[in-house]
Amino acid sequence: MGYEKPVPKPNSDTRAFWVGCKDHELRFQKCKECGHVRWPPSVVCPKCYSSETEWIVSKGKGRVYSFVVYHVAFHPAFRDEVPYVTAIVELQEGPHLLTNIVGCKASEIKCDMPVEVLWEDITEEFSLPKFKPV
Amino acid sequence: MNSKQLRDKYSIIGVGYTPQGNVGDRTALSFYVEACVNAILDAGLKKEDIDGLMVYRHFEPLTNDTEITPYLIAQQLGISPHIMAQEANCARGHLVNAIGLLEAGFCNYVLIAYGDNAFSGRRGFLKEATHGEPEGDNEVFGEFGLVANYALAARRGMHIFGMGPKTWREIAVSQRKWANLNPAAMMYKKTLSYEEYDNAKWLVEPFRIYDACPVSDGGRAYIVTSTERARDLKQKPVYIMGIGEYNPSVDVHQSDFMEGPTGAKEAGKIAFTMAGISIDDIDACQVYDCFTYTVELTLQDYGFFRPGEGYDWFKDGRTAPGGDFPVNTSGGLLSEAYFMGLTPLTEGVMQLMNRCGERQLGPKTNTKKPEIILCSDNGGVFQSNSTVILRSS
Repeated sequence: MGYEKPVPKPNSDTRAFWVGCKDHELRFQKCKECGHVRWPPSVVCPKCYSSETEWIVSKGKGRVYSFVVYHVAFHPAFRDEVPYVTAIVELQEGPHLLTNIVGCKASEIKCDMPVEVLWEDITEEFSLPKFKPV
Repeated sequence: MNSKQLRDKYSIIGVGYTPQGNVGDRTALSFYVEACVNAILDAGLKKEDIDGLMVYRHFEPLTNDTEITPYLIAQQLGISPHIMAQEANCARGHLVNAIGLLEAGFCNYVLIAYGDNAFSGRRGFLKEATHGEPEGDNEVFGEFGLVANYALAARRGMHIFGMGPKTWREIAVSQRKWANLNPAAMMYKKTLSYEEYDNAKWLVEPFRIYDACPVSDGGRAYIVTSTERARDLKQKPVYIMGIGEYNPSVDVHQSDFMEGPTGAKEAGKIAFTMAGISIDDIDACQVYDCFTYTVELTLQDYGFFRPGEGYDWFKDGRTAPGGDFPVNTSGGLLSEAYFMGLTPLTEGVMQLMNRCGERQLGPKTNTKKPEIILCSDNGGVFQSNSTVILRSS
């Protein structure tokens, strides 16, 4: 049986991120002018409006900024997953990334606890960055 | 901005209701039109008087509904307004924009409306959010919109300030008591106890089902004009004493204000400056309450209590009938019906017009007769706030 959950829908802004994920790299735009690392991707830096941009690879380490536990499946493919955890991870480089926390019980998760990335290869084309406690 | 000259210069002069809750087999458009007609009749105006029409952003049409546009509503109302607008993406600018048009002389009577058939059309929470991020890229992680979005913010509030279910229970139960006095409320005949709240199923933790508002069928509308024009009309006008709006805009997934201050702080400051009063002068609040946490955080941001001290402020039914600081006296979105920011705003108007029946503030509910009510409308996930201070005439 194939992968039944939703898959990413890359556009011209987000494609570089998802291509990076396939290579198991978390790629973010960094402003060459002021150094701000931004997410989601944009043509200009929201801090200084410079369009001079480079892509950097995150170390994949951060902390749980906030998290919730889904007890209801809003999509049939998640019926067997509940309860599952979605979270915002604040990466050391700055961006806040929506993700899942895996590899521990929901009751063990706390805000601000350190986490690191692990990769879930969901299809030929896509890998998802998820996070586990350090 | 020299807003003080606008204090009390504009008034709300009529409110339109429709059947609401589980009405069944009606289009969203029909609710818009009925609410608008009733607002015009309530204000004692002729339909030709309406020269401004503003409608809320409409969600994706359900079943075989047509897309809502202001043209369609104007056509069915038989009016040709000078100005029409449809606000998109959860911004909260209708009333500020209406006042701008009145002040500049483009309009004399602006009609503002919302309607939906969300209950009988079984609209979920899924499609209600407007995200800065592509939706599909949230869904890959099993993230499906508003309940979890607000729950994320609530969890951060619990972590930073110790906000949480103890306070939310007070909010849910107190608002239900108001709804039990309001025959039009969806939850009129359903009581809610502390025990029922505590034992309720999780939705998206930390929210239980009673922390989230249900969707509803129905519509709501109101009309704003100059206080000068309002003097000769049918209803006792309700003055717009102060108004402010602020849009932090950042998506909740990137926000660093999950535990506040949200837009309510800045919008509140602007509204209070215009009104020339402080929070000590407020007799009651009507606060947008898509979730219980929204009420706690919004009132915290206005400064009614210090961060994390919400429980002491809400406890012992302080905001319920008979309490000394009524909040969401129709039952609110949680227990009356969902009409976006029109649920709190029109309730503030009706209370100050002294037209609220069994739930009327004053002797009837063993509360203070109100002169000044603060109404608050939040949009997105704390991305937008409009604060309106109303005064009885």
